[in-house]
Amino acid sequence: MENVATGEAQRAAELPMDNDAFAGFYERSARPLRAYLARVSGDAALADDLMQESYVRFLCAARSWDGEVAGRRYLFRIATNLLKDHWRRARSPSIEEIPEELFATSPDAARIESQFLLGPALAAMRPRDRQLLWLAYAEGYSHREIADVTGLASASIRLLLFRARRKIARLLREPEAEGRQGRAR
Amino acid sequence: MIPKSCPRQSEVAAQVLRGQWPAGCVEDLRQHVNGCRACGELVLVMLAFQSARAQAVSGPAPVSAGVLWWRAQLRRRNAAVERIARPILGAQIFALVVTIAIAAILLVAQARNVPRWFSWLTQPGQSPGLHFEDLWSSALAMPVWGLMLLVFGLAAVAVLGGFVLFSDRPRQ
Repeated sequence: MENVATGEAQRAAELPMDNDAFAGFYERSARPLRAYLARVSGDAALADDLMQESYVRFLCAARSWDGEVAGRRYLFRIATNLLKDHWRRARSPSIEEIPEELFATSPDAARIESQFLLGPALAAMRPRDRQLLWLAYAEGYSHREIADVTGLASASIRLLLFRARRKIARLLREPEAEGRQGRAR
Repeated sequence: MIPKSCPRQSEVAAQVLRGQWPAGCVEDLRQHVNGCRACGELVLVMLAFQSARAQAVSGPAPVSAGVLWWRAQLRRRNAAVERIARPILGAQIFALVVTIAIAAILLVAQARNVPRWFSWLTQPGQSPGLHFEDLWSSALAMPVWGLMLLVFGLAAVAVLGGFVLFSDRPRQ
């Protein structure tokens, strides 16, 4: 009887993709996914952990392979949910209610990113805004795809993205503007 | 804040995504972007994000795909084993309940015979239990359902024993 159980477990353990197909998909999607997680979380080590967990969950999900584009979007959705879980575990009441200062990247990460213009600007944004901006302008996702990945209402994406873009454009043009505003507050 | 969008935004976004901004696009679009605040912001933000993405994509390779593949396979197998083991545990509990119930029924049914079983201890010389012929005839005189209960009880104990042995085997 145990042999039967072990055989069934073996069959159930078979993954929806074969090893070679997964290796190719991983090669094409791992770096963009890690970049997304690192930019949104502001923590490279956390991004690595969440990226690995995202792939394991992606493979464990009993889901047929719908092609590269859908697979990648599904992967980003898993990663986004893992990020949300991570923030929730930190006993935060809600992502929207947390002051932006708390989400600023660590001094080390800020030092590494300071050589780029985008790093400090992103560090001053809310995590949800970072997500939306990255998905829209780095990954080139449409509003509907962003809604699919983040779980937000498709209708609200346009307004949220517009506000986030306006704010980051201001930060990119005058990097000290937000610092001055923060000090004045 | 009401989003003021420009009808040419999608055209501008497509040019930037294709990497054709600014050299690969028409002069008319370049002039439009210079004069349109929404499109200017879009280009500024998109270029910053595209450049950050390009840099991240050319970064060091993450952990090997094989390790993740192996971890996923292990996790899926463990989940499957757990799923398969759940009904077996249910069967074990059922067998235990049936055994206890049968044992209780047997005890109640045979309770009045207990003094007779042990009577030979007090009166060894006169006890019918000491003579095989008497024992056999008394067994034959027992009601049929009593014998059946006994057989079912033994069978349930055997089934339970089988499950206990199965569950005690080390998992590979």
